[in-house]
Amino acid sequence: MPAITVRNLRKTFQLKRKAAGLRGSLRALWRPTYESIEAVRGLSFEMDDGELLGFIGPNGAGKSTTIKILTGILHPSGGEAAVLGHVPWQERQALAFQIGSVFGQRPQLWYHLPALDTFYLFGKIYELDDSFLRQRISFLAEAFEIEELLETPVRKLSLGQRMRCEVAASLLHKPRVLLLDEPSIGLDVVAKQRLRATIQRMNELEGVGVLLTSHDAGDIETLCRRVIIINHGEIVYRDKVSALKRRYLTVKTVDVRYNEQLAPDFSLPGVEMVKVGRYGAKMRFDTRVTPVEPVISGLAAAGSLADVTVSEPSLEDVISAIYARTEV
Amino acid sequence: MGRQLAFVLALWKTNLLSAMEYRVAFLTQVFGMMLNNALYFVFWIIFFARFEEINGWNLVDMLFLFGVVATGFGAGTYLFGNAVRLSSLIASGQMDYYLSLPRPVLLHALASRSNASSAGDFTYGLISFGAAIYFSGSFGSLMLLRFTLGCLASIAVLISFLVLVQSLTFWIGNTSLLTRHAFNAIVTFSLYPITLFDGTAKLLLFTLIPAAFIGALPAEFVRRFDLLQLAQICAGGAVFLLLAVYVFYRGLRRYESGSAIQVRM
Repeated sequence: MPAITVRNLRKTFQLKRKAAGLRGSLRALWRPTYESIEAVRGLSFEMDDGELLGFIGPNGAGKSTTIKILTGILHPSGGEAAVLGHVPWQERQALAFQIGSVFGQRPQLWYHLPALDTFYLFGKIYELDDSFLRQRISFLAEAFEIEELLETPVRKLSLGQRMRCEVAASLLHKPRVLLLDEPSIGLDVVAKQRLRATIQRMNELEGVGVLLTSHDAGDIETLCRRVIIINHGEIVYRDKVSALKRRYLTVKTVDVRYNEQLAPDFSLPGVEMVKVGRYGAKMRFDTRVTPVEPVISGLAAAGSLADVTVSEPSLEDVISAIYARTEV
Repeated sequence: MGRQLAFVLALWKTNLLSAMEYRVAFLTQVFGMMLNNALYFVFWIIFFARFEEINGWNLVDMLFLFGVVATGFGAGTYLFGNAVRLSSLIASGQMDYYLSLPRPVLLHALASRSNASSAGDFTYGLISFGAAIYFSGSFGSLMLLRFTLGCLASIAVLISFLVLVQSLTFWIGNTSLLTRHAFNAIVTFSLYPITLFDGTAKLLLFTLIPAAFIGALPAEFVRRFDLLQLAQICAGGAVFLLLAVYVFYRGLRRYESGSAIQVRM
């Protein structure tokens, strides 16, 4: 049975419209006008038990709204959803005992207190047995490498340390599904890597399913086996991350350097020359149009090679390309 | 019920731990509020030095009134500190936190903050009650019981009123200004002798601005037992509580969340 099932989910917000300036404000006061904004437009997808599913999209795509509906925070305007067999907006409390959630912009930890105090409070909120809670804190502290941080007031932790404590707090009650909304927002590269590694480890150790939204394609590339890309509240792509890369990583960029001067009219058939210098060149080609072999042979035939670098676009570039294609 | 009590006790303990992180600020607010209340009461001391009573109320009645209102107000807003911030919590999308945890949203939200200055109100209320006992020369365990009951009823109506006003945020947007006016009105009217009002004004104090249930009625009940007054304060507390819970949860369905960056204090 899938951990999450979503069918034709919709959410519409009423947005008050107001023209700029005093006149606009007065008019809005007298005769307010509202506009319907469709944040989520008929989303349908499933997430398996224990799966790591990436849910990505640009700002305003509907990612956070979807996650908020799935945690029972928001009521949808239409459609169906079930998380671990519960309809989130109807069985919010029962569901909350079985899922954990982390919102990057909405901390759960009490700012002026050490994380340990929030952990004990969560023990009461989730009705955890005292001995279980102690064991669990000890286990998570080791897994997340936060033993030394638990007694420090949260306000004195770095963002990366705080986020590890946040995710640990959301796992105290051993949830079956973890909903992570932008957990890596604002983190530096090292902190991101540590957070990703810990999430992956918890997935392997406890089989906790993770629905992850992120702006950072690296989060999805490292953690998720499957990805759903949404834009304007609709799914524009869904497949395995590996398939996404295979399908869209067909454009290769080649940087080449020679031991001798290149001919001024240096070019290769089917290859776009980005820049040609005296001793080297940068070029681009699509493997669906031009196979790799003749390009490499052509480069070798042009002179004595000093260095060749072939690179692929980053996942971020791929996703940007997908977004661009779906712009309305 | 026991589960919710354990949870609320844990929340209050966490609030206390948070307040103790800044002991000097906490104590300053407590003593500041006590001084503020004492200065306000000086007005009534001067008044009753010139006039013996006003429509049947004397200085000792006022001490009882201040005792009940300040104790109830202090305890209510200390234990349910977010009762004065509910509107901004709703408008800025901060209810997300309470909605994502497996507890009753309203109870969780209200009890998640303690106002340090409320401890000053509470202490001042007890001192006022002690002074009322001293000057009236009447005391007994039954009076203590009536005082406790009166304060509980006062807390129930005060918090319910604040929840009701701020639940309007779900329909009309941020009601911070309205809340401030409603808050000032309920506190001001609850600290006047009820006998000053009659007709429509009195009706308002039992309905739209239920100050009578917060101050005069419980204070009179504390002074002398009256079965009808007991029934009135209990019914008032229950009705306003049920109404507040009903309206809040109706409004919660319209909650639209938000994306503002938040901090849990």
